[in-house]
Amino acid sequence: MPESIPAPLIIDTLKDTFREARAALAKEGWPQRHDHLGWILSVPDTHQKTVLAALDKEQSIKVLTCSTEDEAVTINAGLHIGGEPVVLMIQHAGLYASVNTLRGVAMDGKVPAFYMIGLLSREKDKDLKDSRHSMVRYAEPLLDTFGVPHARLEGPNDVHRIPEYYRLSRERKGPTAVLVGLETI
Amino acid sequence: MDGMKPEEILRAIAEVRGNAICVPTMTTSPAWREIAPDDLSVGCVGFMGGASSLGLGMALAMPDRRVVVFDGDGSLLMQLGSLATAAGARPRNFVHLLFKNGVYHTSGAQETPGGLDVDFVMMAKGAGYRNAYAIREIDEFRRRVKRIVHDEEGPLFVELHTGLADKTPMMVRERSSFAQQVEKLRSTLLKGS
Repeated sequence: MPESIPAPLIIDTLKDTFREARAALAKEGWPQRHDHLGWILSVPDTHQKTVLAALDKEQSIKVLTCSTEDEAVTINAGLHIGGEPVVLMIQHAGLYASVNTLRGVAMDGKVPAFYMIGLLSREKDKDLKDSRHSMVRYAEPLLDTFGVPHARLEGPNDVHRIPEYYRLSRERKGPTAVLVGLETI
Repeated sequence: MDGMKPEEILRAIAEVRGNAICVPTMTTSPAWREIAPDDLSVGCVGFMGGASSLGLGMALAMPDRRVVVFDGDGSLLMQLGSLATAAGARPRNFVHLLFKNGVYHTSGAQETPGGLDVDFVMMAKGAGYRNAYAIREIDEFRRRVKRIVHDEEGPLFVELHTGLADKTPMMVRERSSFAQQVEKLRSTLLKGS
């Protein structure tokens, strides 16, 4: 049975992920131009709202709220060009809304893009493919169609997927995603 | 169609741009490639509407470097919310030039919604850009271009009233893909250029 993940655990994991990313960038020769560890590009996701609320108070991670997911993915590309570590936080509907940018920027452009995607309305007692809600059912098939590696965050024990899939996005120079199963707490 | 020649505008920018990163899109791309065939540019290719967001990301990453976006009116209309995102982020090094010709030139010059009547200066001001204004004459642009590219505080929006470019991306094949441009610019920046 899936469980909700506490926001502080996700934030601590993001900090560790960014520290590791900064170290890798420094090794490549990128200077650290900013005091914060990394960037969250967000189109606010109800499912991850406790994380976003906690990030509001977090000085070491810079959050930029974008008007659309298309923008978020493209701003991610600009930050990547400038040697900055980035995580995208959106919800499944935003993934559907920005498919052409996923294709054109992250895939064809070979731009690393790590998504945390909230599965709003995901039922606790159902597998994603059995959900009553099409927005929940189609998330994994869409990512599979586009060949985007993805994993589920089904509880606190899965947060190690965050650095793992972040790293993978850099290694494969393209998009990867983790799907946040239940609303964070 | 009246208005400044896009190629003349681009040549004026090329003369003063120094190490500013430039982001052409759609009909500014072929001319810019000829005028400034360097590694400090990255074109918005294959995701129309994304030029300002691509430029915004670079401006935020590198606050010590000017980033100049060559947007189109049809392109900007596709992601109009990007005005608010750029304005909200407040990057002082971000210059957003809008090449306004009132049509989708690449696809056959169909009129954009609202055509030339759309007031993008008002939109940029309303979104919160630090400054926004229009330029209609090439002499005025030449007089101001150095300050626009290097000195005026961003986020800065300049609506340039232009005619049609000589070439569209459909007439000239891309020499390098977006992925190749990203890699090239990234490695140029890494070397410290």
